[in-house]
Amino acid sequence: MNPRLNPSTYSIQHPRSVLVAMLGSTLLLAILAALPSVWAPARSVLSEVTVDTDPENMLSADEPVRVFHHDMKERFSLADMIVVGVVDEAHPAGVFNVLALTRIHRLATFAKTLRWPDPADETRTIGVVEVDLIAPSTVETVEQAGLGAVRFDWLMAEPPRNEAEALAVRARASRIPFLDGTLLSEDGKAIALYIPLTQKDLAHRVASELEAEIDRMGGTEEYHISGLPVAEDTFGVEMFKQMAISAPVAMLVIFMLMLLFFRKLPLIVPPMIVAMVSAISTMALLIVTGNTIHIMSSMIPIFIMPIAVLDAIHIISDFFERYGETRDRVATIRSVMRTLFAPMLFTTLTTAAGFASLALTPIPPVQTFGVFIAIGVMLAWFWTITFIPAAIVLIPDRYLASLAGAAPADSEVGRAGHGASVMGRLLSRVGTFTVERRGVVLGGALVVAIFLGLGITRITINDNPTRWFDPGHPIRVADRVLNAHFGGTYMGYLTFEAEAPSVAATLAAIVPEVSELGAAGASILQKARDLSPVVDDGTALVSRLAEWAAEQLDAADDESFDGWETASQLLDRKSELARAFQQPEVLRYLTRVQEYLLTIEGAGGERVVGKSSSVADVVKTVHRELFLADEAQYRVPDSAAAVAQVLITYQSSHRPQDLWHFVTPDYTSASVWVQLKSGDNQDMAIVTAGVDSYVAANPPPAALSAKWFGLTYINVVWQEKMVAGMLKAFLGSFLVVLAMMIALFRSFWWGILSMIPLTITVASIYGLIGWIGKDYDMPVAVLSSLSLGLAIDYAIHFLSRARSAVREHGSWAAAAPIVFGEPARAITRNAIVVGVGFLPLLLAPLRPYQTVGFFIALILIFAGVATVLILPALIGLLERWLFPAPTSKGASS
Amino acid sequence: MKMIFSFIVASLVLFPLLTASSQDPAAKEKPEKGVQAEKALTADEIVARANQASYYRGADGRAVVKMTISDSQGRERQRRFTILRRDTPPPEGSDTKESDAFTGEQKFYLYFTRPSDVNRMGFLVHKHLDRDDDRWLFLPALDLVKRIAATDKRTSFVGSDFYYEDVSGRRTTDDTHTLKETTQSYFVIENIPLNPKEVEFSKYVVWIHRETFLPVKTEYSDAEGRVLRTYQALGVETIGGYPTVTKSSMKDERTGSTTVMEYSGVKYDLGIPEEIFTERSLREPPRQWLN
Repeated sequence: MNPRLNPSTYSIQHPRSVLVAMLGSTLLLAILAALPSVWAPARSVLSEVTVDTDPENMLSADEPVRVFHHDMKERFSLADMIVVGVVDEAHPAGVFNVLALTRIHRLATFAKTLRWPDPADETRTIGVVEVDLIAPSTVETVEQAGLGAVRFDWLMAEPPRNEAEALAVRARASRIPFLDGTLLSEDGKAIALYIPLTQKDLAHRVASELEAEIDRMGGTEEYHISGLPVAEDTFGVEMFKQMAISAPVAMLVIFMLMLLFFRKLPLIVPPMIVAMVSAISTMALLIVTGNTIHIMSSMIPIFIMPIAVLDAIHIISDFFERYGETRDRVATIRSVMRTLFAPMLFTTLTTAAGFASLALTPIPPVQTFGVFIAIGVMLAWFWTITFIPAAIVLIPDRYLASLAGAAPADSEVGRAGHGASVMGRLLSRVGTFTVERRGVVLGGALVVAIFLGLGITRITINDNPTRWFDPGHPIRVADRVLNAHFGGTYMGYLTFEAEAPSVAATLAAIVPEVSELGAAGASILQKARDLSPVVDDGTALVSRLAEWAAEQLDAADDESFDGWETASQLLDRKSELARAFQQPEVLRYLTRVQEYLLTIEGAGGERVVGKSSSVADVVKTVHRELFLADEAQYRVPDSAAAVAQVLITYQSSHRPQDLWHFVTPDYTSASVWVQLKSGDNQDMAIVTAGVDSYVAANPPPAALSAKWFGLTYINVVWQEKMVAGMLKAFLGSFLVVLAMMIALFRSFWWGILSMIPLTITVASIYGLIGWIGKDYDMPVAVLSSLSLGLAIDYAIHFLSRARSAVREHGSWAAAAPIVFGEPARAITRNAIVVGVGFLPLLLAPLRPYQTVGFFIALILIFAGVATVLILPALIGLLERWLFPAPTSKGASS
Repeated sequence: MKMIFSFIVASLVLFPLLTASSQDPAAKEKPEKGVQAEKALTADEIVARANQASYYRGADGRAVVKMTISDSQGRERQRRFTILRRDTPPPEGSDTKESDAFTGEQKFYLYFTRPSDVNRMGFLVHKHLDRDDDRWLFLPALDLVKRIAATDKRTSFVGSDFYYEDVSGRRTTDDTHTLKETTQSYFVIENIPLNPKEVEFSKYVVWIHRETFLPVKTEYSDAEGRVLRTYQALGVETIGGYPTVTKSSMKDERTGSTTVMEYSGVKYDLGIPEEIFTERSLREPPRQWLN
């Protein structure tokens, strides 16, 4: 590279201005990022720090499944819910004792008060949706009331006065299918409260308030708070703990490692400054550009820091290897930068390309994560090649003099004979082995790769936000306890929508009958023709006509009244037929689908669906009670009118709006609440596939389309997109890096060769994941492309040194010991620094961080080992192809 | 006819809405016409007269009601029914009926015509003052007459935002009444339930028109002062000499749902015989009184 274009040249001449520029730009970015949070007026021009803990945002807002989910939530007035399970293991009747039920009553009453002014609109409040709260004091039963009367009553309007009343609450709840297995546990010992929220990001706040009230109440029964919104929202809080713990620990670990390798503080400080400056600038840039701090983006600092110190380590160790000879710091640093500029640029570019490839995934937070790490890596490179030389120039002479002999502790020049060069001796033995026994190395690598690769076929794709927490976390405990007692706390919703007939078909069907209605009939036909072009479908046409005929009837004089009366009734009957979910055969079909749901088995043969509820259950329950609680009358009555009359009876209760959670007021669509026992995407996927095949084999009696929604289902969809997207990202970055390798080595075969250790590493790690039965989840998915960009560095360093060494020494056998000297040590040091640098993620309280930390470390160490074992063996094997012409330099030396 | 279905009936004027007049400071200071006579009225007396004006006009009555329920998403459902009412005559010797002061037992009969799937459904109520009301429901498609036990009166009236009690009338003895304010047009009465556990509200405030004694607005609110439900009389006509609410609405602020009831064919003092209000009528609708 032309030295005049090399930024290092400038920084060596103007070290102070580089220092000022670096600190100034970082400070400026940090101020821009922080200002809106501390000074409100700045918010008009600058973005504030926004935290996004909603895993739904793994999909973009306009993703069809999310749009449908929100449409359906509105259509069925459904809210995300916190589940509070109450168990009393000590009492023989469980929680059905006076004291526990009294406290449960108090908690439900307290929950209703958890409302706050809406920050977006002060006239409204947000929080718990009181009217939809499911608790013993807020749900209704329908039951016999003596003398053949039927009664709608609160299940537990007041706390019980004695133990008999407490047990009566249980007996009454067990007779209502909607409550049994939902509010009341199947074993009759536990109760669950379902607390709907106006928005799910209030889950953590509401849960904390509930916990405080539970503490104030005391009592022997246990309260477990669960539900997907809590899991997801608590995750957001834990995310900050991660950033507060893991990032500083990572910094400390890197510092300790560097201290171990270099022993001298003044050498370690500049790389640490580069790491901090890069991490701070990138996060500030993320905020300034209006991006959110998300599950993924919160990991950015911990990714940037170990990568940022790598190049600095190269410069500093090279500088001190050479400085001792010349004692001219400017000349030495110039020569070091000349040698290292190209490899550092390429390793940086490949790393950045690996991360940037995540932009190819269809998952916005993963895209942001990838792009900003790529930016951070480039920033780190820029400050490394400018600030590190500047720092070396600025170090006072007396320090530099004392450092002169301080080459890396593991190098042969430094502290040889003190056991510090264990690594050096080991590497040199490895070098000899790979050259002499390349068959063993390659054969062994092949066997290991095939064995581990076979594991890939065993990978199960699965994720579950609840498992993002440690097994001992209260959310995990609640999940286990509740799903053991209850039908399941993970809700999926299966909707059936009646397909409306076309306007033309409807018109053709009504014309003959309407024509016979005289004057009124003629007016109706005229109106039908007027309406035809403006209505969406036949159902809307009939419904509009029926409304219009009713208005005409209101206005009719005595003479025309009878005609309009008949016409209006006819149209009403026609529009009745469009109300699919009042038709007995459709409701019976729902019942059969629900029966099928209960038979679905998960991967382990266990039942996946604990319970389901639908409008059919409501109809059957009320019908039974209307007929003296006779179990034989627990059925759907035989006419649509009977269904309508049963439902109007049901609606004469305290909670008429409950019906609209199961069916729309026009009875054209219905939702079946499906309670799953686990939040595993795998289980949800089994259920959706099962229902698809059931519906295909058992077509509904009317034209109905079945679709799913609910958070549990959304997770499945984004997981599917993520798996496909990650494959694309991995292949994309693989090709980009390969192209860069071919360009770097100016050889196709060298390019291919450089990719081999990495490919084997990635395949093996994923195989290992398959063999140990670790689910392929979100963190595992992102590993592939980001490790690719990191681990290729070893191949670049190893192969470029190998190539020049072979040129110099004529043959690989002669060159190998050289390559296994300083270059192999640098690779090993880097693998250790980066690999171990990620390990502090294991301290994070959340599983995805731990997974990423563990596997990244594993991949980097694995790739380092693969590079120093496989590449030399392959070079030996392929020497003739890789070094085709006798190199003049090699021949002469 | 008196509007059985209007919990409270409206003022003679459509729009003198309470807020406007209550905010007029002059209204509070200046004695208005008729104030001399009104001054003597206590809160309990005002409430008694409002109860009478709302639920007990004429000896009997009939109306056709169109009920439109609109949910928070603007989805509408309609029901149509005819309602017959007959007041149980006062004990012999008393002359309270003439003075419009009678507020005793009543019988209601509702006959549904629409939607067609609930056509012929019937609802019969015998309202008592000293015990729970008797209620029967006739479901023609199941050929079933069913007694509905009354646990409390705060259940939905046929799935609408009106409660059963809004329609049948809340006992004046269930609350304590305080006259909070007398504006140019209204008495503003605050009502606190004697037994708060039986009801979902902590209090309700009623704006009662000073001349007609028809309540034109009622706000039910909870302990935190949040309004739960709002009733409004939207239209008033004088029919058969009686100011009568012909259009009213109830909004449930928690669900965002609103129910509007429109009354037509209102008639009073028809001489509807008592035997109409029996279980037999449920199965055999008394056509001559319905049309």
